[in-house]
Amino acid sequence: MIAGYSAPRQFLRRLSAIGGLALALVWAAGLCEFQWKGLADSALRVLEILRGFFPPDWSAAEEILPEAAKTLLLASAATLIGSVLSVPIGLAGARNIAPPWLRLPVRLLLGLERATPDVLLLLFFVVAFGLGSFAGILTLGLSSVAMLGKLMADAIEEADPHVAESVRATGADLSQTIRYGVIPEVLPALVSNTMFRFDYNIRSTIILGAVGAGGLGQEILFSISRTNYERATLAALATLVLIVTAEQVGNSLRQRWMRDLRK
Amino acid sequence: MIEARELDKRLPDGKVLLDRVSFKALPGEFVALLGASGAGKTLTIRAMAGLTNLTSGDVRLTINPGESRSIAQAKGRELRRLRSQVGVIFQGLQLVKRLTVIENVMIGRLGSIHPVRSWLYGFTDGEASQAYTALERVGMQSFAGRITGSLSGGEMQRVAVARAVHQKPLLYLADEPIASLDPRNAETVMAMLQMLSRETLVVGAFHQPDLVRRYCTRAIALRQGKVVYDGPPALSQSQLLEVYGAEIATMEQQVGLQ
Repeated sequence: MIAGYSAPRQFLRRLSAIGGLALALVWAAGLCEFQWKGLADSALRVLEILRGFFPPDWSAAEEILPEAAKTLLLASAATLIGSVLSVPIGLAGARNIAPPWLRLPVRLLLGLERATPDVLLLLFFVVAFGLGSFAGILTLGLSSVAMLGKLMADAIEEADPHVAESVRATGADLSQTIRYGVIPEVLPALVSNTMFRFDYNIRSTIILGAVGAGGLGQEILFSISRTNYERATLAALATLVLIVTAEQVGNSLRQRWMRDLRK
Repeated sequence: MIEARELDKRLPDGKVLLDRVSFKALPGEFVALLGASGAGKTLTIRAMAGLTNLTSGDVRLTINPGESRSIAQAKGRELRRLRSQVGVIFQGLQLVKRLTVIENVMIGRLGSIHPVRSWLYGFTDGEASQAYTALERVGMQSFAGRITGSLSGGEMQRVAVARAVHQKPLLYLADEPIASLDPRNAETVMAMLQMLSRETLVVGAFHQPDLVRRYCTRAIALRQGKVVYDGPPALSQSQLLEVYGAEIATMEQQVGLQ
């Protein structure tokens, strides 16, 4: 046997990992009172309910389309706010740019926001500004700023300090060094994070919409509570189309960006 | 002219990085700093560019005949103004990969551009055409519109030279500009620096005594932060052994060659 590697031990290690996972699964099933028998019984009932959702109620399209547009606008506005603000906030939170008296409070605030569930924020804004898209934009915008700001700060801290120094050596001041030596280097991260967040925001508007931010989420909730299942299906389909389209657009943008580097 | 006066740099734990390094370099010279890794070459270059704080000592740059300024003691605006007079040629990998080649060259002039203009407008067409001329000097004009990250190491190094040329400095400082290049690219870059040194003083840190002998006019060798040789660029075998000797011996010990 070679020191540092033993085939039987590797096998045992893998075996115990799989065994451990299986045990955890069974234990978890017991914890949540998983009903094996109930699952089989209710399968038929679930099918029955699902049938109620089809076919989609196409006649509602005229009312649902504006809601879809509202959802798209809400997600776009929130993403835009987050993306634009993440640059100054990221700079203020980066160890290699900002002094501690600025960086630490910024990082703390970003952390606090991310620790607060979006739903709680929305409820707060709904109380303050009333039901509707405005409270939704504020919530998602703030949440986007906190996430993108943190990711931006991390990306800036990881940027090559030698690149910035070579800019500084020309006599550039701090703002010029940031403009030419830091921001171009973190732009790919910004684009990629923004695309990811846009995707997240669209899905998030569905849940927040149900709580009072308006848009498709509200539509789905209201339709179901009025047992208008076919209408809810159409709203869900619209959501699906939005999410898939957003992902495709984001991917093609990102790819074009990457191709730029290779040309 | 640039003058290093008793450059001293010590770490808080007492370790000596630069030990009273002194020399003067005049226009027309192509000065090479030689020495093993950690001998203080890069640190000396950085001190001359105003990029590091010294424990003591001074760097004086002659900006007009009879008028010299201290780079070591300058702060803020004055330091930035002096930096804009010193063209540092970094390793090509330190260019901004996401910008085009010509943008990277134009960065050389940032020291004389107002920050507000940098943010609201950017560079002018006039600056672009001057940057293009700088690219022509290093034979890289056909790459002007390329994204810098897509260039090879040798190409990037020439762009780094163009950036310093565009800066129109009083002297060039080159920090191991050929360290990561293949022999042919290394020769090209050395020839470029030699060409520049005919008009403007060039001081560079190098690892290749052979290239230094063929291209430079003078060599200054450092060992453990001290100047141990200052003279013609052709060092004898015994002089080279004195510069690199002990370090090579320790290294051989470490890999068990003894």
